[in-house]
Amino acid sequence: MNRKEPFLQRETTRSVIASLISIIFGLVFGAVVILVVALSSKDLGLASAWEGIRLVFCGIFSTGRDAAGALSWGFNGQNIGNMLFRAMPLIMTGLSVAMAYKTGLFNIGAPGQYLIGTLVSLTIALGIPSGALPKALVWLLAFCGAILAGAVWGAIPGLLKAFLNINEVIACIMTNWIAANFVTWMFADSNFKNVVENTKSSYIYKTTYGLVDGQYVSGAGIATPKLGLDKLFPGSQVNGGILIAILLAVCVYIMMEKTTFGYELKACGSNRHAARYAGISDRLNIMLSMAIAGGLAAAGAALYWLSGNTEFFWSTYQSLPGIGFNGIPVAMLAVCNPIGVIFTALFMSMLDISGLQLTNLTAYNEYITNVIIAVIVYLSAFSLVIKLWLAKRLKPKDGGGNVNAELAPGEKKGGKGA
Amino acid sequence: MDSSQDYVIEMLHITKEFPGIKANDDITLQLRRGEIHALLGENGAGKSTLMSVLFGLYQPEQGEIRKNGQPVVINDPNDATALGIGMVHQHFKLVEVFTVLDNIILGAEATGALGFLRKKEAREKVQALSEKYGLRVDLDAKVEDITVGMQQRVEILKMLYRDNEILIFDEPTAVLTPQEIDELMATMKEFAREGKSILFITHKLNEIMAVSDRVSVLRKGRYVGTVNTADVDKQQLSNMMVGRPVQLEVTKGPSKPGQEILRLDHFCVPSHLHKRNAVNDVSFTVRAGEIVCIAGIDGNGQTELVYGLTGLDRSNGGSATLCGEDITHWSIRHRGKNMSHIPEDRHKHGLVLDFTLEQNMVLQRFREKQFQHAGFIDAGAVRAYTEKLIEQYDVRSGQGPITRARSMSGGNQQKAIIAREVDRDKPLIVAVQPTRGLDVGAIEYIHSQLVAERDRGKAVLLVSLELEEVMSLSDRILVMYEGEIVGELDPKKTNVQELGLYMAGAKRHGKEATA
Repeated sequence: MNRKEPFLQRETTRSVIASLISIIFGLVFGAVVILVVALSSKDLGLASAWEGIRLVFCGIFSTGRDAAGALSWGFNGQNIGNMLFRAMPLIMTGLSVAMAYKTGLFNIGAPGQYLIGTLVSLTIALGIPSGALPKALVWLLAFCGAILAGAVWGAIPGLLKAFLNINEVIACIMTNWIAANFVTWMFADSNFKNVVENTKSSYIYKTTYGLVDGQYVSGAGIATPKLGLDKLFPGSQVNGGILIAILLAVCVYIMMEKTTFGYELKACGSNRHAARYAGISDRLNIMLSMAIAGGLAAAGAALYWLSGNTEFFWSTYQSLPGIGFNGIPVAMLAVCNPIGVIFTALFMSMLDISGLQLTNLTAYNEYITNVIIAVIVYLSAFSLVIKLWLAKRLKPKDGGGNVNAELAPGEKKGGKGA
Repeated sequence: MDSSQDYVIEMLHITKEFPGIKANDDITLQLRRGEIHALLGENGAGKSTLMSVLFGLYQPEQGEIRKNGQPVVINDPNDATALGIGMVHQHFKLVEVFTVLDNIILGAEATGALGFLRKKEAREKVQALSEKYGLRVDLDAKVEDITVGMQQRVEILKMLYRDNEILIFDEPTAVLTPQEIDELMATMKEFAREGKSILFITHKLNEIMAVSDRVSVLRKGRYVGTVNTADVDKQQLSNMMVGRPVQLEVTKGPSKPGQEILRLDHFCVPSHLHKRNAVNDVSFTVRAGEIVCIAGIDGNGQTELVYGLTGLDRSNGGSATLCGEDITHWSIRHRGKNMSHIPEDRHKHGLVLDFTLEQNMVLQRFREKQFQHAGFIDAGAVRAYTEKLIEQYDVRSGQGPITRARSMSGGNQQKAIIAREVDRDKPLIVAVQPTRGLDVGAIEYIHSQLVAERDRGKAVLLVSLELEEVMSLSDRILVMYEGEIVGELDPKKTNVQELGLYMAGAKRHGKEATA
């Protein structure tokens, strides 16, 4: 009775292939855009288009231009390290969206949860006077405080959904803007505004600043340990946070796939009625799901801002952080698989880096990569269609098969089972 | 018969394939003028596909369709209508907020200058048809306000209004009372006498015997044969349909009721549709070792009664006692301690369709020590348990435990639910329409399971709309009408006609209602 689906027919295999097709399509489309730009411009030729296309596909391995002015390639530790650094918060917001989606909720509130995480992590990190507590403990407090606050913030739409049946998308949009204004207000009234460096208006201190005798002093604060990653990828911003993000992704995966709690969450997400029928509290699960999603997004903020080399622009009441929204394509492209999120977040950040390379090394700019991401997001929405198409293509030719959906209850399939 | 060559519609050697499935494999169906031709087959036998081909919804890979001997091409439903083919679908295709008249003329509106509707003429035509065939309808009532029986008459009038001469009825009796079924049968015979041809899709053998001239049988996408109804009996037909001898009658010994398991006292459940209670002041008991059946026409409070009893909905009056404990205010999970529930809607409540079979098998039990350690699901135990159930209850699926529930056939989905609920081994089994939409073979199996559970000393509360099922399976019958129990009957001492009168509200507590 030990039956296993053939590799090509597995749901996950098809999902991965569908995502890869979307990605390839997006990249090819980006290349076409570059070609069109090159051919429609007087100053650019096919040679420059070829450079641009190569950068789109493998900009991460670009090391600039050599003496002769040609593009040079190789291991670029700075690029890869920065990719990891940018992927870190993206993994968390992607996880937030993916996890909620698996439980049947569309968490468009990641930007708000991310902002609340920002507020709390920075407030704790900068608010505790330097030396009052061990630095590691301050870091941990800031990290956990952010998660807790994000969870509470995320639970609000969950609560509204569970008890008043208010659509979580609408509630999330509202809480996003409330968060944006609340965070701006809190920081405007705080003394965390960077006054040491005059050129930086409307920025908060980096967390490397610490409060010493009522003054913020550079180097007296905290920062996520590098864990040697800076040696591996010299010149980049990467730190140990990426490992925490990956670890959390694995934890979410285990929680969703291996535990009774994840089983309950998924049952509620797939079929709320059946879950209720089975005695699972759908309301509790909706709230918990949104709370966890909020916590994950806020953890992403904490990892990003506690890294010590990032500065928060606090007057944010008119805009929401893109990292929060980018969690949506990251999750969709990963078909909401927590492990998949790690890879799609890395891929998205890689495109970012490629975009920077385009800007730095050629006449094209990084907006090309935005076009690519847009195409991929559109296509990932069509992933179901692609999957159906794949299902047809990957059907086994040797009869029997497992596509016996509506067939005869009365007949045992030949060639099945050992 | 002298008119044997006078075929009005012929579908010859139709083959229609879907990925992985031959839904129709060389099927031939020939409809004579003026006959009632039954199309018999289990679920998934290919009846719907064949009709969709006739309606131009699918194009067959092979075969041709002829009208009066001439080959025709049907590309879409409009072509079918132009050829005079009309259909009453199992689920009516009516606009709920339109009036009856508007629904009848919809799509075939007669218009005058500037596109204004000429409703007066339409009304006269419909009225004439309605009187001629005794199809009573209220032309100005909104469809949402009229009974299901009248809605069906509206569908029939729709076909007549379009002067269709080939009428297809898809499972037309599923929603009707016995009296309404009799009327429908009479109407169908009247149509046939006038030379209209009727294709009657069903899996109810009684109706075929009562009304049809010939029967064509499909099995698993293949054509089994066409026979004259007069030459065969029910048993032969069901053997043709299933492909093996089938036990049509439920065999069960007399019940031996034991102690009281369930007691409802003045139980009330509110309605979501109107201000009155959907279940009003209902009291009854179910004892161990008996099958008590709630009979009634759909929508008379049976669903709400089960919701109130199982905790899916709140009751607003009275009490429920299960195994000596007052469960009126218990949670669903808590009630599950002594109750298993085969739900009415297997897709809504019974299964998480996107879960695998094994995940569905532990839907209530995943928290038990047997299946989890410290919050981690013991996948091995779940797999082993599922394989045991598959083996024991003969649940068939493409890939065993890891089959998606969605990809299983309806009969096997239901078998899986039954396996799960029966194996939970609770004193009370609430089974709501456990055989709805299933074929003879699966019904036979499910009935025998329920009787076996009864004989093991379980209390079974069965809710059914199928009169045959009510009569053959139950030890006591409670008839529900407009939210109340209007009669308690002994299946051995009553008959379908009397039951029908109770169900229609014409009779209650042994007295004739003054209607």
